[in-house]
Amino acid sequence: MTFTLKIWRQKSPDEKGRFVTYKAHDVGSGMSFLEMLDGVNQGLIAKGEEPVAFEQDCREGICGSCSLVINGIPHGPDRGMSTCQLYMRRFPDGAAITIEPWRARAFPIIKDLVVDRRALDRVMQAGGYVSVNTGGAVDGNVLLIEKDQAETAMDAASCIGCGACVAACKNASAMLFVAAKVSHLALLPQGKPERTRRVKTMLDAMDREGFGSCGNQYECEAVCPKRISVRFIATLNREYLRAGVVESGLPAEPESPHAESA
Amino acid sequence: MAHPSNHFQSSVGRKVVMALSGLGLVLYVIFHMLGNLQVFEGSHALNGYATMLRDMPILLWIARIGLLSLAALHIVLAIQLTLRNRRARPVAYAVREYRQASFASRTMAVSGLVLLLFILFHLLHLTAGVIDPSSADRLDTEGHRDVYGKIVHAFQNPFIVACYLTGQLGLGLHLNHAVTSSLQTLGLERAAFNRLIKAAGPTVALLVVLGNVAIILAIFLGIVRG
Repeated sequence: MTFTLKIWRQKSPDEKGRFVTYKAHDVGSGMSFLEMLDGVNQGLIAKGEEPVAFEQDCREGICGSCSLVINGIPHGPDRGMSTCQLYMRRFPDGAAITIEPWRARAFPIIKDLVVDRRALDRVMQAGGYVSVNTGGAVDGNVLLIEKDQAETAMDAASCIGCGACVAACKNASAMLFVAAKVSHLALLPQGKPERTRRVKTMLDAMDREGFGSCGNQYECEAVCPKRISVRFIATLNREYLRAGVVESGLPAEPESPHAESA
Repeated sequence: MAHPSNHFQSSVGRKVVMALSGLGLVLYVIFHMLGNLQVFEGSHALNGYATMLRDMPILLWIARIGLLSLAALHIVLAIQLTLRNRRARPVAYAVREYRQASFASRTMAVSGLVLLLFILFHLLHLTAGVIDPSSADRLDTEGHRDVYGKIVHAFQNPFIVACYLTGQLGLGLHLNHAVTSSLQTLGLERAAFNRLIKAAGPTVALLVVLGNVAIILAIFLGIVRG
C-alpha cells in the first residue's frame, strides 16, 4: 500500500510549525500506524533528513504515550483504541492522511508531533492520590466493596492519561480525565476521607493549567481509547456540588487547640 | 496544598450557575408559551389573562427583574466561559472531524446570540411597542387592554412573522442542547434515567417551539382572526 502523509513539523516549542508532505511506500496492510511512521523515518534517515518525532512506548494500548490526531480525530478513525493499535488496513490504498499533534494551550508542542502533557501530572499531584499512613499492610478483605461499586471504580481507573479527551474537546477541556480520576477514588472506601478536598484541588489545578470547560458535546468519550463514559463527568459535577455544601462550614483554624489532631 | 478558590469562581462552578439560570429561563419560556396558547380561546380569555398579570404589579415586576437578572447572569457567564475556552486552544486543527457532537451543541453561541437579538426585538415590539406603534394599546369591548387584537394585528405582517420564526429557530436549537446539558452539569445521572435525560432537551425544545409557532402561523394563515 502507498499513502500520502501530511505531517506537522515543528523544530522546537518556540519555532513556527508547518505541514510537510511525505510519501509512505511499501506499507503492509498488517502494519500498525506507528510501524508505518517508523518506515517513513527510516527513509528520512537514509536520505540524511531529520526523522519525524512522535511519542510511543508500549505499542499495546496501555501506556497512553502515542498521541496523534489522524485526519481530525485523536487516535484515528476507530473507537476504543490508541494510535498504536490502529492498522493500515483501516485506510484505503493511496489515501491522503493528515497527522497533527494534540492541540491545547496546556499541551505545548516539544517537537513535531510530541507534546508536553505534564499538565495532567500536575492535576494528579493536586489531589489524585490517597494518603496512607505507614504501618503493617491491611488484610485485603477488611474493607468490603460492593461488586458494582468496584466495577464502576475500575471502569474509571482504566484511564491511561493519554490526553485524547483534551485533544478532541472543542474547548480543550480535561474534564473527562479529571472525572475519571475523581470518580475512581470517590467510589472506593480508601478514597472517601479526602474526596471533598480532592475534587476542589484537582479542578482548581485543571483551571490553573489553562484547560477549557466542558461543553457536554461528548467528543471526549467518542475518542477515548478506554471508552471512559461521560457519566463520570456528571459524577465529577456532583462531587463538586457536594464539596461546596459540605465545606461551607467553618474551616479548622491553625491556632485551635485541636490543631495537632486535625 | 493549594487553597481552594471560591466555589463558584471555578469553571465548573460557573457552569453550575449557568445551568441553574438557564433552567430558570426555560421554566419561564414554557409558562410563557402555555399562557399565550389562550389566544386559541379567543380575545376574552387572552385579554383576561393579560389583565390578571397586570393586576399583580408587585409580582409582575419581581418576575421581570428576576428574569432580566437571570438572563444577564447567563450571558455574562457564557461570555466569560467562551473567552476562556477559546484561549484553551490557540492553534486550531487543520482537519477536524466531529464524532458525536450534535449540530445544536456546536452552535450554542450562535443560537444564543440569535435568541438574545430576538428577545430584544420581542420586548421592543410587544412589551414596549416601539417597533410597530400602529398597534398601540387599545381597549377591548370589556375595557381590558386588547392584547389579542395587538397580536392578531402583528402576525399579519410577513416581516414580523419572519422575525418571530427565526427567533423560534434559535430558541429550539438552543434548548435542544441546553436542557440535557444543564442536567449533566448539575450531576443528574442515573443509568435508569439516562434516556429520559437525553430526551429532555429535544422534547422541551420541540414542545415550546411547536406551541409558539402554532400561534404565529394560526394568525398569519387566518385561522385565528381578530
